[in-house]
Amino acid sequence: MKRRSFIKQVLNGSIAGSLYLVWPMSANSLDVPEQIPGIRGKEYDSLNREFAFIVDITRCIGCGSCCVADKREYDVPEGNYRTWVERYVKGFSDTIYVDSPHGGLDGYQTPRSDIKEKVRDTFFVPKLCNMCKEAPCVQVCPVGATFKSPDGFVLVDEKRCVGCSYCIQACPYSVRFLHPKKKVADKCTWCYQRVRKGLLPACVQVCPTHARKFGSMKDETSEVYQILKGPGVLTVLRKEMGTYPALYYKGARREVI
Amino acid sequence: MGLTYRRRLLIVLISIVVLSAGGLLIKRLLLPKSFGVYGPYRADAIAEAALVPIRHGTNASCLKCHPYEAKIHKKGRHQAISCEFCHGTFADHVTDGKKSGTLPVKKEKEITTLCLRCHNTEIKARHEEVIKTVAMPDHLKNQNVKLTNNCNQCHHVHAPLKYINRAKQITGMMEAGL
Repeated sequence: MKRRSFIKQVLNGSIAGSLYLVWPMSANSLDVPEQIPGIRGKEYDSLNREFAFIVDITRCIGCGSCCVADKREYDVPEGNYRTWVERYVKGFSDTIYVDSPHGGLDGYQTPRSDIKEKVRDTFFVPKLCNMCKEAPCVQVCPVGATFKSPDGFVLVDEKRCVGCSYCIQACPYSVRFLHPKKKVADKCTWCYQRVRKGLLPACVQVCPTHARKFGSMKDETSEVYQILKGPGVLTVLRKEMGTYPALYYKGARREVI
Repeated sequence: MGLTYRRRLLIVLISIVVLSAGGLLIKRLLLPKSFGVYGPYRADAIAEAALVPIRHGTNASCLKCHPYEAKIHKKGRHQAISCEFCHGTFADHVTDGKKSGTLPVKKEKEITTLCLRCHNTEIKARHEEVIKTVAMPDHLKNQNVKLTNNCNQCHHVHAPLKYINRAKQITGMMEAGL
């Protein structure tokens, strides 16, 4: 190789490289502050990442912001919900009444009128993917379309899914559905694409009372790390299923399933 | 005509080699690339999942171009509220750094409905320590205003107590502790 062509190639490479670093940032208008520290500006090593999600039931007011944000972020078809908010009403006879009109998308504007007894407590429980460490949906997938990534996200490979719905039946938390247009299984991903860009999941980002918390478990200063390290009581849904979810609930009554 | 023992053995061995080579070839042809790097799935699917376009920005992305709203919003009680919940997503408004659409502004009764998603005492589930709630139309009656009034006629939607506190200052009610 001649010296001239060598220098040309090196220069071209360095210009292209520097453009590559700058270009995606301006194109996505992502020059906003990072919400999850330590993700931007370095290579993402998925083997050395872990995340946790905490839902604080004592702070949830059932406004449905999360459901609206989720629907807008993914254009979720009518009648399917990647995340939803349930209303639990507990009567003095220990009867539990649960409802979730329209998945909580319209919020809860009126109290339940069909309960005859005196009400002891009313609370809201947001539901989303539990990101189980031992995920039943991953075990049952016959084509390897649902998998658990090394950083702990249970994701669906849309190109590989054949839409057999086996995973939908296997999920103990009913978070999966068959996308009516794409004809593949779809579910909450904890906004994987946002997390990879250092942003919080859309539902966490819009929650007005900070009832939804998300963060890195490898970062000892993150809020979720501090909560999980601390003495506060956290529960998971359907512990007896042995799924070991990475989604924790704070202040959940034992009736919550 | 009978085959010798050696010949039979050779046929068996050759068929084992041919079948296993064929099996491996078919496996390679049928399995997608990057299958099995981390486990029994396509490792490229992780990178594909990270490429899904983002529709929600953050409050910082909105307030960058709206300094007037930023000034009020950041001072008020509603500072924790996401712009995009009430107005719509960033992606519907801005594409590649340029304005690409107008977000609808909530009007009249829509505003009251939006406010009552959170500030509704009737639900009896919203803790006073988390959020201040009111019952309608009792709140309007108690404040001696028309029952047809919307929330935003007294409360600035970005800083709900902005006008209320100012009015109290002017009339001296703040000092009187009313």
